[in-house]
Amino acid sequence: MDTKLFSDRSVWTMIHGIVLGGGALMALAAALFALRAMRATDAPHGAAQQQSRYLAWLVVFAAVALWLTVFIGMLVSFPAYRATPPEGLTDLSQYPRSLLQSNAGTQWLHAFAMEIKEHVPWIAAMLATAVAFVAARSRSKLLTDLRLNRMATTLLAICFALASIVGVLGIFINKVAPLE
Amino acid sequence: MTTMSEGHEGAPNGAALAAFLAAGIGAFAVGFFVIINETGLFAAPALYGPAGGVSGRMTFATVVWLIGWAVLHTRWKDREVTSKGVYAATLVLIALGVVLSFPPVWQIFG
Repeated sequence: MDTKLFSDRSVWTMIHGIVLGGGALMALAAALFALRAMRATDAPHGAAQQQSRYLAWLVVFAAVALWLTVFIGMLVSFPAYRATPPEGLTDLSQYPRSLLQSNAGTQWLHAFAMEIKEHVPWIAAMLATAVAFVAARSRSKLLTDLRLNRMATTLLAICFALASIVGVLGIFINKVAPLE
Repeated sequence: MTTMSEGHEGAPNGAALAAFLAAGIGAFAVGFFVIINETGLFAAPALYGPAGGVSGRMTFATVVWLIGWAVLHTRWKDREVTSKGVYAATLVLIALGVVLSFPPVWQIFG
């Protein structure tokens, strides 16, 4: 059998949403936990250095994954989503935006959900990048300076919340009008 | 023994605070370019045709973020900066950026 199980568009959507977006969310959750759990460390200086190095890699990974999610979303998935169908076409299954707009019950998935997905992930990526920079540059200070730790935790928590909301909206859209 | 401290240990905190505040500026820039597009004040050109105007809006916001970060980093990297005001400004800018990116808000300005 020579039938392709998944189209290229479908594979890119999975890479965008599950591999990179999901990976970033897992890394953000782990980084949030680490920022809180490791901050009041009584560990020797060497151990704190080691912990902060792992934390830095974790946040850098989250930031890189978020940026890749954003770029693949904008450059690969979004153009396919917003493609205009030929005039007179009745089967809109290959044109997700038009499919969503053709039904009053699903119009909000474009006007609200996709509009948020177009912009908010960039904010999440910027926040993760800022924390990744501080984690890589300041290393153990991020665990030993309470104010810095609190601010990094707050920014990562906002980033996690935004990325989660965007991820859920993406699932909604892909359930109703998948890129196949 | 390593313990938590409220103060500033070791290197100055300026570079870290510059990164945080720049992220706030970037977040606000995202919301700003979105709202001026939605209200018809300024539509950023599509820098990547298939993606449409979002490619221009987000590229402009990213450029603002990076320029803001570069300027703040240059000025603050060797300084100890009072963190409270910077943290507050960062959170306000992020909140504004998110709110301005929220479609129901566009109708208020539209």
